[in-house]
Amino acid sequence: MAQTPVVTGISPKEGPPGTKVTIRGENLGNKPTDLIGLTICGCDCLLSAEWKSPNKIIARSGPGKGRGDIIVTTVRGGKGTSTVQFRGYHETIGPLTESAVWVEETPVQSLGWGSRALSSSSFQIEDPLGLSVEGNDRKKFPEDSLLELFPGCNGDLASEEFSPGWFLLEHHHATSFDDLRVGLTYLKRKVDTQKEGQLSFLKGNVGSVIEQLETLENLKTTFEEDIIKHGLNRTETIESAIKECISEGNMLFDGVLKGREKADRTRNALGVLQRFRFLFTLPASIERNMKRGEYDTIINDYGRVNNLFGKTDVNLFKKVLAEVRLKVSELKNVLREKLQTMPNTLETQKKIIRNLVHLEYDDEPGWEAINVHSKYISDQLNECHLFHITAEMNEDNVIIFTHIIFFQNGLNHRVECVEDLTQVICLRLPDMWLLGQSYFNGELYVKPDASKNQEFKKLIVGVVSQMCRLVRSWPPPKGSALVPWLPHCLRHVRSAYSVYKNVFSTCFLALVFIPRLQCIKTALKNVGDQVKNLSSKENWVLIHDSKYGVITQLPKLFESMMSECLAGLKESVLQKGHRESELFENELAKKDVTSLVLSCFNAYVQCLDRLTANNDDGEQSMVVSQIATPTFRQSQQSTSLVWEQRVLACASNCRYSKLVTLPRVIGLAQSHGLPDLSQVMDTTSNNLSELQNHLVFTYVEAKSDPLVGTIEPSMYIGHFDWDTDLPPTDLRPYAKEIIANIIAVHAELEHVCSWLEFEVISQIVETVMEEVSRLMLCVPRMSVCGSQQARLDIAGIKHALEPFITQQADGFINEALEAIPSLKEAGDE
Amino acid sequence: MSKKPAPQPALHKVIMVGSGGVGKSALTLQFMYDEFVEDYEPTKADSYRKKVVLDGEEVQIDILDTAGQEDYAAIRDNYFRSGEGFLCVFSITEEESFQATQEFREQILRVKNDENIPFLLVGNKGDLDEKRKVSLSEAQARAQQWGVPYVETSAKTRENVDKVFFDLMREIRSRKMEDNKISNGRNKDKCKRKKLKCSIL
Repeated sequence: MAQTPVVTGISPKEGPPGTKVTIRGENLGNKPTDLIGLTICGCDCLLSAEWKSPNKIIARSGPGKGRGDIIVTTVRGGKGTSTVQFRGYHETIGPLTESAVWVEETPVQSLGWGSRALSSSSFQIEDPLGLSVEGNDRKKFPEDSLLELFPGCNGDLASEEFSPGWFLLEHHHATSFDDLRVGLTYLKRKVDTQKEGQLSFLKGNVGSVIEQLETLENLKTTFEEDIIKHGLNRTETIESAIKECISEGNMLFDGVLKGREKADRTRNALGVLQRFRFLFTLPASIERNMKRGEYDTIINDYGRVNNLFGKTDVNLFKKVLAEVRLKVSELKNVLREKLQTMPNTLETQKKIIRNLVHLEYDDEPGWEAINVHSKYISDQLNECHLFHITAEMNEDNVIIFTHIIFFQNGLNHRVECVEDLTQVICLRLPDMWLLGQSYFNGELYVKPDASKNQEFKKLIVGVVSQMCRLVRSWPPPKGSALVPWLPHCLRHVRSAYSVYKNVFSTCFLALVFIPRLQCIKTALKNVGDQVKNLSSKENWVLIHDSKYGVITQLPKLFESMMSECLAGLKESVLQKGHRESELFENELAKKDVTSLVLSCFNAYVQCLDRLTANNDDGEQSMVVSQIATPTFRQSQQSTSLVWEQRVLACASNCRYSKLVTLPRVIGLAQSHGLPDLSQVMDTTSNNLSELQNHLVFTYVEAKSDPLVGTIEPSMYIGHFDWDTDLPPTDLRPYAKEIIANIIAVHAELEHVCSWLEFEVISQIVETVMEEVSRLMLCVPRMSVCGSQQARLDIAGIKHALEPFITQQADGFINEALEAIPSLKEAGDE
Repeated sequence: MSKKPAPQPALHKVIMVGSGGVGKSALTLQFMYDEFVEDYEPTKADSYRKKVVLDGEEVQIDILDTAGQEDYAAIRDNYFRSGEGFLCVFSITEEESFQATQEFREQILRVKNDENIPFLLVGNKGDLDEKRKVSLSEAQARAQQWGVPYVETSAKTRENVDKVFFDLMREIRSRKMEDNKISNGRNKDKCKRKKLKCSIL
């Protein structure tokens, strides 16, 4: 193992980056390749290192700053040490520094020549006396006193007001006299050397100077050689050579350029010919393309021809152009016709519009198309309408006798018409709308006329309102028959509306509103009619209701009818569509509907009334039997209920309707969105109560009349005379009859509507008692036995009818009793 | 009171002074590496240091080879301040260089402020006796005047090369011992220096 390298010498020991340094030492390697590492002040300098001998390496310092070791690394000795150090510094050469080599001065100059800080600092290093200025800072001479001593002067060496005294005091006031003397000699010597003519400077920079001299000499010799070779006037030779080159080049290129020119000319001529050919064949080709329908090609060609020959002055061209224009206008007409023929898809229309625009069509084809569209739609609507009308008319004429079929067909026609109308709108209007949209969006290749927006709206609205008008002009002709179809129609209208819900709401809303209202009205009217016919459906089957006694199915029927109708209405009408206004916001509509509902209920009430009022066929009560007359029981009809029973059932129905059906129906209607019906309910329930009372009254009349009528004959049956001597043995038959009859009525009531028992029977009892008392008062003379008998009868009756005797009845009884002569003995059975 | 060999051997700082081209670098390189450089390359300031055995004691010698050219005169002060001993070299073939020694001597004394600074007057290029311009007696007279030894050397033949360095080192060593003695008390030099200061105002 070789010894580690040691650096013991450095020359020079300091310098700016790039300084060539000679490194001396020991064990620096035996051959150049042994050197594998060199750092100066921490900077790797191996690249610039040149191995000279085991004791010497020449290298250049790196950019390191400050003092640092020189470390040499060799293959065998490894990393070495250093006994000496190198100091790197960055040197700035002042403007007055002598330099034998070229120095880049620009950065210094940029600081400015007059910069005192720079000049003073640069001179501070180079003290003119060659003395150290170190340590002088310790005792700085005050500047104020300097100013006093040397007014108008300063110590700046570069200044014109330089004062030596100032300078010395500023920089050397602490220097000894001897030192100053040494400095003076130094200064003298320096001045001498400068006077000597830079000898020492040349000495110091011998290397550079010699190099410069050598370069100059080289230049000189080369130049001299050149003179020998080429003579003195070298520019002439060069000039002639250049001229020769130019002429040679021109010669070479002339041929090529000429050839190219020729080719260009030929090409131009060919192009012109091509263009002419194109122009002359254009009319024919336009015709051809028109037949084929390739309008795009024509448009292209036309544009091209306009570009090429549009401004031509040649008569022939003008002629041809005119021909072409003729063809094009022909084409325009064709296209225009196409545009105006409907139906057409939106795409083809757009295409035609585009073509027309490209062909410099005078008007606005887009707008035209919109107009055509609107006209087409309205035509179609009218046509459709007309078709259906004539169809109906025809059928009217042909099959007038088969009335029902006609009616059906007519109905269908109407519905179909509405369907078709709405369909027309559904199908056509979107296209028109889209066309309009694209027109106003500028998609139709022309600048849209914004003022036409209003007009466009008007057109659309016009079409739609036409449809509305037509649909409306087709009202349900004959009442109820169309009703099932109305919701259907409504649905169609609505579907048409939903396509444009955002666009023309008001118009459509009005359209929808009318059928809705109409629909409700007709539905309600229809129900009313149906209700009127309800009476025919009554089968008098009694249903026992636990709470409300016996009822017939009539109220249920009515209820179901109403709820059915309401459900239908709800499904089609009452459910609000998009942006449809509240149907019953309209006060009039509300009133109408309310009155219609009311009329329904009224019809019901009337129906109930009618059911009981038809007792004109002389049908007699079967219940009230008359002893004197044979009973009619045998002649009983197959009807399950006799008239009185019906009356009772109706009364019961009234009650039930009032208490159950009416609130239910009203509630249902309310929940389905019909307007407030409380008034209707009040009126109806009043009506019902009235009817009920009337019925009860009728019933009481009906019952009590025959009953009362039978009393007198029964009383005097068998030529009975109150002035009898026969002692009473039993109740007289008339009394028994009274009791029995009332029992029969009671039974009837019990059977049909028990809740009327007291009311009815007590009334009957009253009338009976009134009659009895009248009879008693009419008795002219009464024996004791007779009075006994009478009292017995009355007591019997009273006893039997105890629970139903009202005060009034009691009064009558007392009246009767008073009429009877008092008894000596009372007999009671 | 002999100094014991310390782990770090004593360091003696030697400064080569003299006009340009008298052979300061040549002497240094001959001493350091036993080589003689023929081609002339003006020195700026070179630094060398190596271990030598001085009278059986290992010491380090630090040689600062300075520039002889006048251009560098201004920076000499700084160099001189760090020197402990000076080899003032002139060429016996050049009268001017002999005259210049006077200036160097004065500058050194001024900077070091010490009359007894270790100092050797060296007449180099002794091998060129035929071109001699400065006579031996002339040189010796000046050395005597200054109270310093005079030695003639030849960097080329290595005559007296080691001698001048070693002699100087010995002087430095003995001077340091002296200083150590004095520095037990007050630093005499300092007082002296203060006295010497000139005060115009």
